[in-house]
Amino acid sequence: MDKQRAWQQLEQLSASESTLHLRDLLQVEDRFSRFSFRQDELLLDLSRQRLTAATLTHLLQLADSCDLAGWIEALFTGERINHTENRAALHTALRLPANATLMHRGEELVAQVQTDLARMQRRVEQLHQGQWRGFSGEPIDTLVNVGVGGSDLGPMMVCQALDSFQPAQARRITTHFISSMDGSQISGLLDQLDPARTLFVIASKSFSTADTLANAATALDWLVRASGLPPELLSRHHFIAVTANAARAEAWGIPMDNQLHFRDWVGGRYSLWSTIGLAIAVRIGMEGFRQLLDGAHRMDLHFRHTPFSHNLPVLLALTEVWNINFLGIHAHAILPYDGRLAHLPAYLEQLEMESNGKSVDRQGKRIDYHTCPVLWGEIGPNAQHAFYQLLHQGSEAVMCDFIVPARRYADQSDALQSQHRLTLANCLAQARVLALGDAAVDQSHATPWQRYRGNQPSTLILLDELTPASLGALIALYEHKVFVQSVIWNINPFDQWGVELGKRVAGELLDAIGTPARRDRFDVATEGVLDQLYRRWSDGEGHPC
Amino acid sequence: MLIAIWGDELSAWVAAAELARTGNEVLLQQSTPSESSHRAEPGLMESLATGMAAGRIRLCHHQEAVQAPWHWLASHPADISQAETLCHQLRRQGPDNLVLINQSNFGIGASDRLHALLDHARQQSLVCLPDTLQQGQALQQFATPETLLVGCEETDARLRLRALLRPFSLRLQQIQWMSRREAEFSKFAISGMLALRLGYINELANLADRLGVDIEVVRQGMSSDKRIGPHYLAPGCGFGGHHFTQYIEGLADILAEARHSTLLNTVLSENERQKELPFRKLWQHYRCDLQGRRIAIWGCAFKPGVASVDNAPSLRVIRALLAQGAQVQVHDPEALPALQNALGRVAGLSLHQDPYHAARETDALLLLTEWPQYSSPDYARLLRSMQTPLIVDGRNLFEPDYLRQLGFTYYGVGR
Repeated sequence: MDKQRAWQQLEQLSASESTLHLRDLLQVEDRFSRFSFRQDELLLDLSRQRLTAATLTHLLQLADSCDLAGWIEALFTGERINHTENRAALHTALRLPANATLMHRGEELVAQVQTDLARMQRRVEQLHQGQWRGFSGEPIDTLVNVGVGGSDLGPMMVCQALDSFQPAQARRITTHFISSMDGSQISGLLDQLDPARTLFVIASKSFSTADTLANAATALDWLVRASGLPPELLSRHHFIAVTANAARAEAWGIPMDNQLHFRDWVGGRYSLWSTIGLAIAVRIGMEGFRQLLDGAHRMDLHFRHTPFSHNLPVLLALTEVWNINFLGIHAHAILPYDGRLAHLPAYLEQLEMESNGKSVDRQGKRIDYHTCPVLWGEIGPNAQHAFYQLLHQGSEAVMCDFIVPARRYADQSDALQSQHRLTLANCLAQARVLALGDAAVDQSHATPWQRYRGNQPSTLILLDELTPASLGALIALYEHKVFVQSVIWNINPFDQWGVELGKRVAGELLDAIGTPARRDRFDVATEGVLDQLYRRWSDGEGHPC
Repeated sequence: MLIAIWGDELSAWVAAAELARTGNEVLLQQSTPSESSHRAEPGLMESLATGMAAGRIRLCHHQEAVQAPWHWLASHPADISQAETLCHQLRRQGPDNLVLINQSNFGIGASDRLHALLDHARQQSLVCLPDTLQQGQALQQFATPETLLVGCEETDARLRLRALLRPFSLRLQQIQWMSRREAEFSKFAISGMLALRLGYINELANLADRLGVDIEVVRQGMSSDKRIGPHYLAPGCGFGGHHFTQYIEGLADILAEARHSTLLNTVLSENERQKELPFRKLWQHYRCDLQGRRIAIWGCAFKPGVASVDNAPSLRVIRALLAQGAQVQVHDPEALPALQNALGRVAGLSLHQDPYHAARETDALLLLTEWPQYSSPDYARLLRSMQTPLIVDGRNLFEPDYLRQLGFTYYGVGR
């Protein structure tokens, strides 16, 4: 079947199914068993999605019509599917076991990846043993990860999520994350740190990211002023570069021996599996880091080899395509019911919106259908006191992802275990009320303001428990879902041209800040603000005040 | 008197040797100390051998030992459950009027708990006699104590204990009788006080380094104040040892748990930092690069007079040097076997029987243990044989001005 036909059939189906309500669909006895799917430690429950058996059949036909199977092979075998940058997208190669092989453009990739990891391991062990020494000879006990986007969000999210998996020797090292260009994070942090014991990880794929290099320069300046030692010596002992551009990092002053590398076939938002994950490995140890990789690898195998009708990333992607393109839902809330996953929404915002926030197809043509929805989120129980009002009674249709571990606090106090039971009850209650609306309870005496429309679809992802492996699987699930959607939408999920222009214009504007506004250089609004800035920076006569 | 010894701590073995020497019949459960550092205690093995040869020390079956009227318990802090089992057995099978002398560091209140397990109706009782022996001079300290702290709450036991300790009271000025719990607490309090003094003088020494003041002069000034006195005020590269550290860790834990106090934990963690001080001085001297440097270490024992490297600064310094790619050449008159045992065979580390061999072709000499034979070395020979005449004196053993005059670069602790 061709794609157009499959698409039209889904449109017809959506017209005929538009009157279906989840309160009726959830009356069907075997709905849970038919619409929930398990892969090792992870359960994907789609039974609260507005799906029928017919919808699923047609969605699977749509996938076939887009040659999804061919695209998946192209992804795993390293074809240059990031065609606008002429690159492969081989983050899955980062997760292959050490004894695997993968030839790519005449090079054996697995050995290369394992070499990079072994170099990282050496540094992690050095830190854990207290043998990375600062300028005074004190062991480093503080790691500051300086990066932005993929060099920040992934490591930060995983470090927080897996904090309780810290091995004893890792406890000597405290980790901080610095990303913001404006210096507000770094200036506050440096006041509290001991320069003699602080190591900066400068994480930047290109080693040209303005935000990161600005923070790195501030860090170096701080060290020079604290120690009175020359910058060359300090950059040798207080900086590690994690980059795909060794030459630029070396030019900045970080010697080769203090560099960890990854390759240009790893996209920034897919890079936490590479040496960009240094902060993760320092937090949870190399063993934990390898478990994270292993969990993702098992999801890779599942994605590559399981029939689409039972394939978690494929089913999740198609369900959302149904919501976005056929039910007209353009907002997506990420709602972890586990405070350790606090940074997951921000991480997925980048993964999904930077990957699929596009409206030109692979052939360069403007497209006339919706792609990535607006995505946001918050720790679920906290969001209940913030934006759930809109989910339940607002005018927007929103799809929600509930993410929760089944077991938690197994070896801890009863009080904590009952907190987890309370959290689970809230998670299930919200999913139930969103789906059923008034039908969830007896609402016969409710006023108009107390009524719940229901029929808001949601996905529930139940992890057996949150571990390095299950988190690896969860992230890989989302990565592959994003990829499947890009195939359906015929867009390239691995480039991000939309973030380039702003950087260029900022470069042009930098010189104009604080100088008298010249007409016809920018636009009237920009020139107006430049003029205001100039007046507030000087006495109006050009003298600084 | 017939005395059964339980446990494998140094004080158990010293008690066995000394009690046998004074005519008692001593029953052991094993024939030699497990720990090499205990076997290296000066005079101990000879004294045990003498006791055995005379038949006053003998091995016996557990069952026979339980029936002795006297029991001496000096077990590792982790072995409290074995001690409890022993008390249960003594209750069932031990004689009337039995006295159990506890020298183990089981924590405050442990002696009371063990005492409660004995049969009080048959006048069985436990006496807490805190272990104050210092490694290196333990036999002499046991034989001629000046004061004794004794936790004993039963009059009968007090009388009997006085008789048992009579041969050791030549210089005894005072026996302080107190409750078992007070005796345990006193021992902790003494160890903590000493650690605080050492921590404080090291803190001052590090400050003196920055301010260009000689801490040795300041120390003499402090010592002359009667309220302070001279003891435990020598700055240096940290204290080690097994016994002392155990007590301070124990007290630090109690303080942290009961009072959220960080006082002693701070002393302990600062002491760990202090152990690396010689490394830091060297690291800074060589501008943060020790790759390929050859470094001599004189003294790896945790203090002079012992063959043990338990918690010794040398361990931390050697590990740090090796991690930076330096070659390390160590001399110690007694503790080289213990060092080999602790570190195993590692690349870059060599052990030397002659201190001048260890110093040959080196870029620095680090003095970590103040063995007396290091005090006046052949400086000319050192100057000739060292690659770079640089001395880091972790114990302030040498005269800085004199060494500088001879042509050495000298770094001390706080001077």
